[in-house]
Amino acid sequence: MTLRHKVDSQPAFVLHAYPHRETSLIVEVFSRDFGRVALLARGARRPRSVLRGLLLGFQPLELGWAGKGEVQTLMKAEWQGGQPLLAGKALLCGYYLNELLMYLLPREDPHERLFSVYAETLRRFAGGMLESDLRRFERALLQELGYGLTLESDARGVPLDANGYYAYEIERGFVSLQRPGSSALSVSGKTLLDLAREDFSDPSSLAEAKQLMRALIAHYTGGAGLKTRKIFMELQEL
Amino acid sequence: MSTPSSLESLIEALRCLPGIGPKSAQRMAYYLMQRDRSGAQRLADSLSLALGALRHCQRCNTFTEAEICDRCLSSKRDASLLCVVETPVDMNMMEQTHAYSGLYYVLMGRVSPLDGIGPRELGLDQLLARACDGLVQEVILATNFTNEGEVTAHYLSEMLKNHAIRVSRIARGVPVGGELEYVDSGTLAQAVRERRSLSE
Repeated sequence: MTLRHKVDSQPAFVLHAYPHRETSLIVEVFSRDFGRVALLARGARRPRSVLRGLLLGFQPLELGWAGKGEVQTLMKAEWQGGQPLLAGKALLCGYYLNELLMYLLPREDPHERLFSVYAETLRRFAGGMLESDLRRFERALLQELGYGLTLESDARGVPLDANGYYAYEIERGFVSLQRPGSSALSVSGKTLLDLAREDFSDPSSLAEAKQLMRALIAHYTGGAGLKTRKIFMELQEL
Repeated sequence: MSTPSSLESLIEALRCLPGIGPKSAQRMAYYLMQRDRSGAQRLADSLSLALGALRHCQRCNTFTEAEICDRCLSSKRDASLLCVVETPVDMNMMEQTHAYSGLYYVLMGRVSPLDGIGPRELGLDQLLARACDGLVQEVILATNFTNEGEVTAHYLSEMLKNHAIRVSRIARGVPVGGELEYVDSGTLAQAVRERRSLSE
């Protein structure tokens, strides 16, 4: 994008920040109207910078930026507040969300609905993490990116049967199986229908949905292992 | 006229310093060679001396020339307290408070999931071994109050919770002498959430 533009008071979240030169930061943000954007925060690492401590992930911010090219210049940042800092397991899951967004979301591609799902998920995380929030977010993410699951009917257009078993074939859909477990990725019809309704009250649906989402995300991230997952596993090993 | 290769490699080497680009590196190299050759010699000597002599203390992981640093060997320090900090600079800040007389462990970094820095990269098993020496009764987590510092603290508390060691986290809130009017809202909000009872 070579167009020079100026953005003001844009709701956004910091996804990640890298040090740049001696005192600056490059911040990857997820904004409501512009999607994922890289911003240069000049002097943000100086001891008395007003930005220091403000450009914190998982906190709702309002940002203003200007410039052209891939990395634009951050002009203003305001803390919106209203939610506690994430802690413990919820914090790790927050990192997982950010890694997914960094991996899968192309730059400057607005996803307003996904933004609101992300904000809502973080709000829920602040009150304690729930597996179902992760599944809801993963589903919304795939849907927004155009990898949405068809959860009403199988690949041949036959409505899903709650008592049936299905294998998921990437880019094709669900294929009915004769018996459970005859494919590496076999899920019950009930799980798929629960996922469609976002009803995660059944623990076995939740567990199967997790396996399904993990396989799909592994596929769309090119099989590259997610860093946050690796660290999560090291934590469980304790 | 082309730059001699030794000068070129000096310029290239200087660029490893933080914040030094090609222009500054060139300026530094010419300065050293042209105007301050004895300074350049001192720099070269002390660099190779430091590289040869400095290593990590076996107990607290900070830089030292000996096997175990003076602070860890000192009998005046309280061996039942172990304070975990991210960097040697953080340790110096803690020392300047004169409020803490225990020992330290310096992580030399922090857990940063998005940069792929996990417990393995940080060598946290060394800290676990250190904390389980039988003398340490309380581990004070003094990592930064950033998301990365919090994740590190969370990880450490999980790691230590099965080892009969008390784990605490330094407090956060309004700074000493701070007036609410001038405190940033994020800090104030967290201070309200983490308020403590006075009626004990």
